[in-house]
Amino acid sequence: MGPTRRTMRRGLALSLLGLLGLAGVYVLALGFTPIEARQGLAQKIFYLHVPAAWNALLAFSLVGLASILYLWLHDPRLDRFAAASANAGVAFSAVMLTTGPIWAKPIWGTWWTWDARLTLTLFLFFLFVGYLALRAAVHDPSERARFSAVVGILGMLLVPFIHLSVYLFRTLHPQPIVLKPSAPSLPPEMLRTLLISFTVFTVLYLGFVMTRYGLMLAEELQEEARDAG
Amino acid sequence: MLAEPPRNGEYLVAAYVVATLILVGYWVRLWQKARTVFSGQAPRGT
Amino acid sequence: MPDAIRFALAIAAKDIRAELRSKTALLSALVFAALVLVVFNFARDPTVLAASDLAPSVLWVTFALAAIVALNRAFNIERENAALDGLLLAPVSREALFLGKLLANLAFVGTVELVTLPLFTLFFNVTLGRALPGILGVTALATIGFVAVGTIFSAMAVRTRFAELMLPVLLLPFMVPPLIGAVQVTSRLLAARPLSEMWGWLRLLALYDIVFVTLCVLTFSAVVDE
Repeated sequence: MGPTRRTMRRGLALSLLGLLGLAGVYVLALGFTPIEARQGLAQKIFYLHVPAAWNALLAFSLVGLASILYLWLHDPRLDRFAAASANAGVAFSAVMLTTGPIWAKPIWGTWWTWDARLTLTLFLFFLFVGYLALRAAVHDPSERARFSAVVGILGMLLVPFIHLSVYLFRTLHPQPIVLKPSAPSLPPEMLRTLLISFTVFTVLYLGFVMTRYGLMLAEELQEEARDAG
Repeated sequence: MLAEPPRNGEYLVAAYVVATLILVGYWVRLWQKARTVFSGQAPRGT
Repeated sequence: MPDAIRFALAIAAKDIRAELRSKTALLSALVFAALVLVVFNFARDPTVLAASDLAPSVLWVTFALAAIVALNRAFNIERENAALDGLLLAPVSREALFLGKLLANLAFVGTVELVTLPLFTLFFNVTLGRALPGILGVTALATIGFVAVGTIFSAMAVRTRFAELMLPVLLLPFMVPPLIGAVQVTSRLLAARPLSEMWGWLRLLALYDIVFVTLCVLTFSAVVDE
């Protein structure tokens, strides 16, 4: 149980560090980064929304990768990692799905648009939820790991198709020209804040996954102890 | 063009508040579950 | 004919025969499809939205929902008879087993679609005319994709407690690309647009089928074997 508790403690500490870093990002974004002329204050949501999106996508890709490796190597640690990553991914998708519309409304005038990024996040969210629901519904650990791995792999391959569908849809149904919120040429202070935010969010991801991993391991060990005792 | 940037601060606040609630809330849930493990009971439904 | 294909056909034939005897999956899906069409008709304001604008979406939503009903029933019958366990003891390749199940499910869902289509033209006053071969083609293309994923997911869902809920929760995101493609192509076919306008979507559908049928064949053994 010792190493498990250590993992959990470290994970909690790391994610707490991440949260402190997040506070720092808030200060940086709100106090030390210029206001974007066309979009106003609401543009600063960008510094949360984009790293959260990146994390959700990262979390999901790692679930897919771990799933492939699990089916090949049958190492339960890979399955645990995939589940932990999916769990963390839900949190970041939730951030994306909430900040996205809140950002879209003042900038594009509508709460929701079926653009590539929002649509993809919505799907990632549904895939995460389905993945976790399946895990909750299967009791045998080996079966759970195998089923999750299959869903993880299929889900990972669904993402490019969603992207392609949205792309085809938009090229055949031209949407009105809108402001591009993530302009490729960012002034240096904005870029700096964004990069720092990316770092903080990555730390958060690692901390969350580590803690989840430890929790899952602890639960498994306690189940075993109960069954044996 | 010296137009004023649009006044949409309330959206900024809303987004930051919601994001904070989600991320901090997630951490708090992890911490609560870790506590039940440390006290010897199994965390349910990780 | 290679053994694997012969075996797959045998599995498919057995399932189809079993379903023809009880007819529960087919009938429930058909009744469901008819009901959905009726609801869609009354849910629309005819003065605002012409039937022809909504038609492709209505058709495909109906197909998608009916497919889920059919897939659920098909595997429930399987589970009730514990037939899969017997099959797994036989020295058969899991790939062939999956193909057999896929063919049987395609037969079920295909039948539901074939019966729903005339109902649809009747209720929505749509003339298929020269679009018919195209519509049949795109229906086959899209259906193969989501029934493949549906087959593997229903094999998983049937082992969980809330099987009827688990299947749609898992499957619906995967139905979206084939559905989008099918609706886009169907609406262009009904409007007699040139093939060039549908080419991108048709390629999407074909690519989806190739990728997902292959993936499902490869991963099926992970689902049914220890």
